[in-house]
Amino acid sequence: MQGAWWALGIAVASIAALAYYAFVVLPARIHRWRRDGLRAFARLIELRTQGRYGKAEPMAELASAVALRLGIPLYERRRMELAVYLRDIGMVAIPYHILNKPTPLTPAERDLMARHTEIGASITEQIPGLWHVAPLVRLHHVVYSEQPDAPLAAHLLSALEDWIRVAESADADTAASALKQGAGARYHPVVVQAILSEVRQRTLDGVQSLTRSAALWL
Amino acid sequence: MPNYSHRMSKRQRICLWIGLLSVLAAGLLLLAGMPLLDLLTTFVGIATIAIAAELLLIRYPLRPEYPDRGIWLSVSTSVVIASMLIYGWQFSVWLDALTALVAGLVTAHLRNVHPRWVVANIAQSALSASVAGLAAGSFNVLQTGVLSATALGALVLGLLVYMLVNAGLVSVTVALAEGVRLRWVLAQTLLSLPRDILLMTPIAFLAMAALHAYGAVGLLGVLAPYLALRQAFVLAARQQELYHQTIRSLGFLVQRAHPYTGGHLQRVSLWARRVAERLGLPPDRCELVYEAALLHDLGKTVLDERILNKPDRLTPEEWEEIRKHPQLGAEILRDTPFLAPIIPWIALHHERPDGAGYPFGLKGEQIPIEARVIAVVDAFDAMIGGEAPNQRRPHKRPLSLDEALAELEQGAGKQFDPQVAAVFRQVVREWRTHREAKAGA
Repeated sequence: MQGAWWALGIAVASIAALAYYAFVVLPARIHRWRRDGLRAFARLIELRTQGRYGKAEPMAELASAVALRLGIPLYERRRMELAVYLRDIGMVAIPYHILNKPTPLTPAERDLMARHTEIGASITEQIPGLWHVAPLVRLHHVVYSEQPDAPLAAHLLSALEDWIRVAESADADTAASALKQGAGARYHPVVVQAILSEVRQRTLDGVQSLTRSAALWL
Repeated sequence: MPNYSHRMSKRQRICLWIGLLSVLAAGLLLLAGMPLLDLLTTFVGIATIAIAAELLLIRYPLRPEYPDRGIWLSVSTSVVIASMLIYGWQFSVWLDALTALVAGLVTAHLRNVHPRWVVANIAQSALSASVAGLAAGSFNVLQTGVLSATALGALVLGLLVYMLVNAGLVSVTVALAEGVRLRWVLAQTLLSLPRDILLMTPIAFLAMAALHAYGAVGLLGVLAPYLALRQAFVLAARQQELYHQTIRSLGFLVQRAHPYTGGHLQRVSLWARRVAERLGLPPDRCELVYEAALLHDLGKTVLDERILNKPDRLTPEEWEEIRKHPQLGAEILRDTPFLAPIIPWIALHHERPDGAGYPFGLKGEQIPIEARVIAVVDAFDAMIGGEAPNQRRPHKRPLSLDEALAELEQGAGKQFDPQVAAVFRQVVREWRTHREAKAGA
């Protein structure tokens, strides 16, 4: 064959580009679409509970960063991110007056409230595109000493949700010490370690950027 | 009054169109003559590969809201154009016709398609291939060399002409068959044309080089990377289909899990889509209307179910709460980009043409037609007591179908859009006739 190998090169390169698109770009885009769709349901719970539950965006971001530290593979990280958006969907079936009760819940009400994981999982299980997320929805309040064999991502969600709740109502130090106290009993020790180092890293980064901008100002 | 009695029925028009196509295509095939006898082995080899490729057609919707629009990567078309430049147009016209015949018969058998669509497809293929051959035939690729800019140009021209002619013919057929406007079908097909050509050119080019160097055997080597790609696209497409169902069924399940909302959603959404189709909205809009009708009460899942279930008269404060639900529904879907078109319909599905609706009190044309459709269908289903038993208010007896139809007529212009109400009454009557016929049989 004479000359013009460039034409052949272009053809081969474009097929390689197509393959890259099909194997890398597309799965990432599909994941984004799913996440955007599920965001609606996280917002639904957020509206129903007047902002007490269902908040997903900051938690999803933090959870992904911690999962990266733990070396959780991409597929599992994506599954976990979807679970963050869907985790409280079961609260749609919990009576409104219990969800929004201003005073502390009675033990019976707390039991009813605890059923939201099971209800959420049974809703999620019925949906063809999301059945793989259901186990994480069911286990997102998992206790380490009871089920040490649960997926690492579930332990992560359980510990992280508690950390965020305490950090919001009190401060980050209280949340950190609560997590440390529960390590090995309520929370998975490895997960606690990863969450604390991620949070410490962020605080350091925050301080650094603060000093940097202060230096710029001066 | 114009007399329309001379107009043909839809079926007659389709048959006439397909007949016309077939006669033209048959003439062209005869004119081309059977491929030269010494090329017969090559012809059979290439045809086998092209048929296999056609059966493995890549079909991948690019955006979830338009499942029918997207990449249609037909590798057999690439093979047809490549072989046209090497073996001449007569060869490729027969090749394309044969591919369409065998692939069409298999598809017809598998998917229960009427044979006339296979005939239409064969004729369309043969016609497109001959016109493409006419356009690209002036390039003598064998003389300039297969790996040259001229060959590449001839290839792109051939693909372009083929796709254009094919798009035109297919659009007419689809428009006749589905009863939609030609303009819409044509626009949908032409929009994806540049991208399709961009995707098919490399495969066609490799196919041409392989055919030139090694004949039909070389083609097998080109097909290997294609098959790997196809696998990825198929998986992605399947996931995406699932995904669209995901939001639908999740919305449905969430509304059902909520103690208040009931099972009338399915019927309301089917009726709403039917009405939208009758009103002549574009097909993808109709699909979105279906989706919107399924999700229209999503906002109620946010509310206190004790108010929604209250059997007695509601206090003004409680009414205030209930009136929030359309906007809450819109708020829930705010951050989901691909549902953006349906957000206003959900927010406005309790507006009334006379301005007495909520939340904004819009009038007539200010309300999107889709919201007016959902309003009519939703109200009708509530009248006949189609909602879940716990949703019916005890002091309101469900109306019979006739009473509800009468109410619909009374409310036209005030509570309901007159045009939508008229179309919907027709749809309900047809539904009832259908149901009675089914019960009788």
